[in-house]
Amino acid sequence: MRLSDREQDGIIVLEPKGKIMGGPDASLLHDKLYEFIEQDKKKVVIDLSQVDWMNSTGLGILISGYTTLRNTNGELKLASVTDKIQSLLTITKLVTVFEAYDTVDEAVESFK
Amino acid sequence: MTLELLKTLLFFLTGAFLVFLAITITRDNFANRLNRVTGAMLLFAGLGPIFVALGEMIDPATTRAAFEETTIFALHYIWEFFFPLLLLFSWIFPVDRLRDFRRPRLRYIIFVPYIMHLFIALFFDNIIEYLGDLRIDTGQEGFSSLVMQPFAKVMSWLHLLVSFVRSYDVNIFGAVSIVYVLAASYFLESGKKYVANPRLLTQTRVVLWAMRAGLGLLLIAHLGSTVLPYDLPETAKSVLMVLAVAAGAGILIFATIRYQFLDVRLIFRQSFIYSITSAILVGIYILLVIKSKQLLEPVFGEQAQLVSYAFIILVLLFFQPINNWIDEFIRSLFIRTRTDHRNVLERFSRQVISLFDPARLRSIIEETLKTTLLVEKVYFVLYDDKVKEYALLVSEDNLRRVVIVRDDLMLRGINLLDTPTYFYSLADYRDGSNLAKLLDERAVKLILPMKDADHLLGFVALTDKAAGYTYSSEDLNLLGVLSNQMVTALINARLYVESLERIRLQEEVTMARQIQLDLLPSKPPELPCARISAHSTPSRTVGGDFFDFVEVDDSRVGIVIADASGKGMPAALMIAQTQAMLRSEVCNGNPIDVVLRNINQHIVESSSAEKYVTLFYGEFDIKSGRFRYANAGHNYPILARANGELELLTAGGPVIGALPRMLYESDAVQLETDDVLFFFTDGLSEAMDKDEVEYTEERVRKYVVEHRASDPQALIDSILKDVREFDPTYPPRDDTTIIALKINNGFTPYEG
Repeated sequence: MRLSDREQDGIIVLEPKGKIMGGPDASLLHDKLYEFIEQDKKKVVIDLSQVDWMNSTGLGILISGYTTLRNTNGELKLASVTDKIQSLLTITKLVTVFEAYDTVDEAVESFK
Repeated sequence: MTLELLKTLLFFLTGAFLVFLAITITRDNFANRLNRVTGAMLLFAGLGPIFVALGEMIDPATTRAAFEETTIFALHYIWEFFFPLLLLFSWIFPVDRLRDFRRPRLRYIIFVPYIMHLFIALFFDNIIEYLGDLRIDTGQEGFSSLVMQPFAKVMSWLHLLVSFVRSYDVNIFGAVSIVYVLAASYFLESGKKYVANPRLLTQTRVVLWAMRAGLGLLLIAHLGSTVLPYDLPETAKSVLMVLAVAAGAGILIFATIRYQFLDVRLIFRQSFIYSITSAILVGIYILLVIKSKQLLEPVFGEQAQLVSYAFIILVLLFFQPINNWIDEFIRSLFIRTRTDHRNVLERFSRQVISLFDPARLRSIIEETLKTTLLVEKVYFVLYDDKVKEYALLVSEDNLRRVVIVRDDLMLRGINLLDTPTYFYSLADYRDGSNLAKLLDERAVKLILPMKDADHLLGFVALTDKAAGYTYSSEDLNLLGVLSNQMVTALINARLYVESLERIRLQEEVTMARQIQLDLLPSKPPELPCARISAHSTPSRTVGGDFFDFVEVDDSRVGIVIADASGKGMPAALMIAQTQAMLRSEVCNGNPIDVVLRNINQHIVESSSAEKYVTLFYGEFDIKSGRFRYANAGHNYPILARANGELELLTAGGPVIGALPRMLYESDAVQLETDDVLFFFTDGLSEAMDKDEVEYTEERVRKYVVEHRASDPQALIDSILKDVREFDPTYPPRDDTTIIALKINNGFTPYEG
């Protein structure tokens, strides 16, 4: 997984690319989130449009990100969720937990 | 007569030996003040016995009295300069404390009494004569006598004083000497507290013993007349004094050879030993040859000459082997000590070969350098593979690390080195270097690079040696070899740590697998109304699958299938925890939705957020055929109806352990005759072919529906076969767990 980030209307947009799996990916996302939390930027959208695959550990990373932000009064939303990840979220019934939007713009808009 | 001669010879040899020692020590390191002072001290100490021997050589019976009046005899007092030099020595050994003196030049005052003594001894007669001449003048009448009278008075007093000093000089200056030795041993003793290095401490102790021995003999010589009932003759006194010096010098020689006192190099120490052993051996042989000639003559008469030649040849034949043998013996006694360079290397190699703990290795290196080379302080800058950076470890506190940035100029300079190098010669790399600053603060003098191929593993930084000794070329050679050995040892230690890590991981995998296997039921329960089969394929790395059957009560059996996220030990512990929780919740008689809610809350609180378990739990009522379940984010189990219809068991809630306070709903299905329930984990549906195309849940569902007529075990076997055909690399990267339940043909629910 490669991870880039940008800011859109005061909202942090994280753009992972490739496969979200265990190992280094976890600390990569985690460290990035903490970096923003320390700057008091706690509204985050993860753009999943370029993630082709995610295993159970990858899902764990998302959950941990969600928990981390929520514990600091922040919020994590998902955007452009691919079918594969959508079905994973459905089976695990995490759709009820994660707010997911079709586009990044919609997700950013939802924070207002 | 023979005794006299022996005594003279002994004096002469002692003196010569001391002078030899003095020259050796001074030559070995003239730049060092300690070596210079010690050399001078021993030189004067050696002159004493030589003068005594010279005195003895002149026939004492006839010319003694006359000789004692000569200038040559008076010159022998020069040896007394030994005492002020001894005092000076005690100020600079083991730690140079002269630097602390406010007026260092005043130290030369200590020589004044002895200069006076020599002056009086040399010119005493002249002075007496001169004073005597002046006294004559006062007897005359007239003006000149009036003027001269006060001078004459002064002169007569002086005359008296000088005569007094001259007649008791041995006692007066003997007393002064004792005071000097006492002061010196006091300063030496007080200097001990500045010394931390064990080898230097031993040297100091030995030197102190040398002084005590000398002092004891001096005291006997001078106080003998008052303590002992009889007065010692002059000769005995001087013999005792010379003995005192010889004893002191002897112990000093011992310290030099045995404890590398003054850091005298091996080659000089060896030359000592060789010279002495060879000289003694030659002396004994010559004595033997002469004696043998005397013995042979009466027996062999004319042929004695011939026999004695044969004897000489025999003696010469044995000379070399015996000399070698004595050499070896003495070397083993003195030279090959713990501080000998070759011994250091041997010992060091032996130690580090079996040493794999990096911290212990560092302390051994440090100890070796401190004890053998008397290095005052040792610092390590080492590359840490894990964090990929160089850091300075403060030796007295290995926990403190000062990180050196990769592009530090000094670090780059050191990277170019191959051999031990003086820090000052790296002046080109100082600009803006933090490392240079750190090394400056620690007064580092020498850098020992440790290189593996072209990679700098780090370096050892050494301060000056204790007592201000400097590094010799012999030391630098030793350090070069040592640093090569350190490289090997460091690499060994690192490989060892890595292999330990691998073993640990391997053990963890084995343990995790064992935990997983222990948790799995040995065989499915046997039911009157249905058949159950289960299968579990562990993956190459241990995943987090598990399944379980729980006897809820007489009529209900619980079925659990779950998959913990992650792999290895964390996943294994997670499922162990979940299983224990579930069993206890079920036994407490809680309804299914409450069971999952409680497990979730418990796991959330006891594990980190990214860890979770997908879990399906259902209870089958064997009488009614009802199957009540709740699905916590697990792959939907398949209900393939006998008529080919497909239902998915989806009701429930989110995965277990991700988020707190989750709620779960339960649902129930009524199972009829020949219905098939098929539970599985994602290892089955996510099996991939070589193009990374997944087997998919749809395909699992389709397969189960198509093969619903099969017996449960046959269904499991055939779907596994199908997956293996799809994915030849099976077993897959994730574990696969399958449970199949089929209702017996003709089952009629009991309506209660």
